[in-house]
Amino acid sequence: MVDPYEVLGVGRAATQEEIRKAYRRLAKKYHPDLNPDDKGAEARFKEIAAAYDIVGDEQKRARFDNGEIDASGAERQRPEREFYRQHAETGPGFKYERRWQGSAPEGEEDLFAQIFGERGARVRARGADAAYTMSVAFTEAVTGAKKRVTMPDGKTLDITIPAGLHDGQMLRLRGQGHPGFGGGEPGDALVAVHVEPHPIFRRDGNNIRSVLPVTPGEALAGAKVRVATVSGPVQLAVPKGSNTGRILRLRGKGVPSAHGTGDHLVELQVVLPEHPDDELVRSITEWEGKHPYDPRNRQGAQA
Amino acid sequence: MTGHLIGEKELIESVGHLEVAVLRRWIDLGWVLPHQDGESLRFDASDVARVRLIFELHYELRIEEDSMSVVLSLMDQLYEARCCLRALMSAVAAQPEEVRARISDLAKAKG
Repeated sequence: MVDPYEVLGVGRAATQEEIRKAYRRLAKKYHPDLNPDDKGAEARFKEIAAAYDIVGDEQKRARFDNGEIDASGAERQRPEREFYRQHAETGPGFKYERRWQGSAPEGEEDLFAQIFGERGARVRARGADAAYTMSVAFTEAVTGAKKRVTMPDGKTLDITIPAGLHDGQMLRLRGQGHPGFGGGEPGDALVAVHVEPHPIFRRDGNNIRSVLPVTPGEALAGAKVRVATVSGPVQLAVPKGSNTGRILRLRGKGVPSAHGTGDHLVELQVVLPEHPDDELVRSITEWEGKHPYDPRNRQGAQA
Repeated sequence: MTGHLIGEKELIESVGHLEVAVLRRWIDLGWVLPHQDGESLRFDASDVARVRLIFELHYELRIEEDSMSVVLSLMDQLYEARCCLRALMSAVAAQPEEVRARISDLAKAKG
């Protein structure tokens, strides 16, 4: 065992009064009932008490100083004791728990009532919102869709994608979030929806834009061509003499919205054959030789 | 938690050196709350432990009456808060993982 003087932090020449004071100071500090969270307090307190058993008593101290008894002898004399905290930790409902409330400041409720509510009344709390993200195809976002999606946390959501949904739009699914507490309603699921880009269609407000490649012949003579729209393919009449960059409007083939459905704007692009042969090259150059024109004159000095 | 109840005489004997008048004073002050059995007082295990504690705090550690009221009040509040905390902790422990994580995040944010 450790030297009792060391335990109490006093010198060998300390007076009985100094030893008493040191003991009281340490015992108050380490009393297990006043330090319920400190696991080491009980051992420390016992050590302090054992040390005081020896040097706190003038006669025992003299015998110890003379080497007649050692520190461990005194230690064994103290029987195992039980501390108050063993009883006080048995609550809720421990009888010494609430008796100081009479003197508590007004309005200060007791902790249990604050957290769990009083007399069966329970705290009701709405559950928290749960945040998710998901992706939808471009056309689903335009025309709307119903989807069943399993989120990374395992939750399955039935999601109605409204027609005309924007990229990044947040959908709120009522009651699909975290459960409530004490009968409170569940939170909402907040789903941020990413709209995947489309290889052909581009969104421009409530209009859809796409580029339609045509042959020089179709552009010159006019033609009926099949065009994909978000609501399926349609026949489009390319007027005679249409040039690259001409925009044709397909009314009502755009994005539905509260202010009416937008249009699909088709931009023509005249495309030469990938491998023009001599015949084509010769005939066009001959034609241009007889009918010269400058496609850059409209651009003026910009070119 | 009542368990085995003992009388005043038995209590005095088990603590040793405690005077009846002093014990009655502590009861009057509300420091100890024995059960009333007709004319006689009965003490349960928590009363006994509490009397021993007050005895020790007063006679060995020299905590006087005024200070003792403060010490006991703080101690009772501490144990009540700990009880409440433990009840909360077991309620939290019974929650699904995601709820525990949320509570932990919120507690950290506010603590």
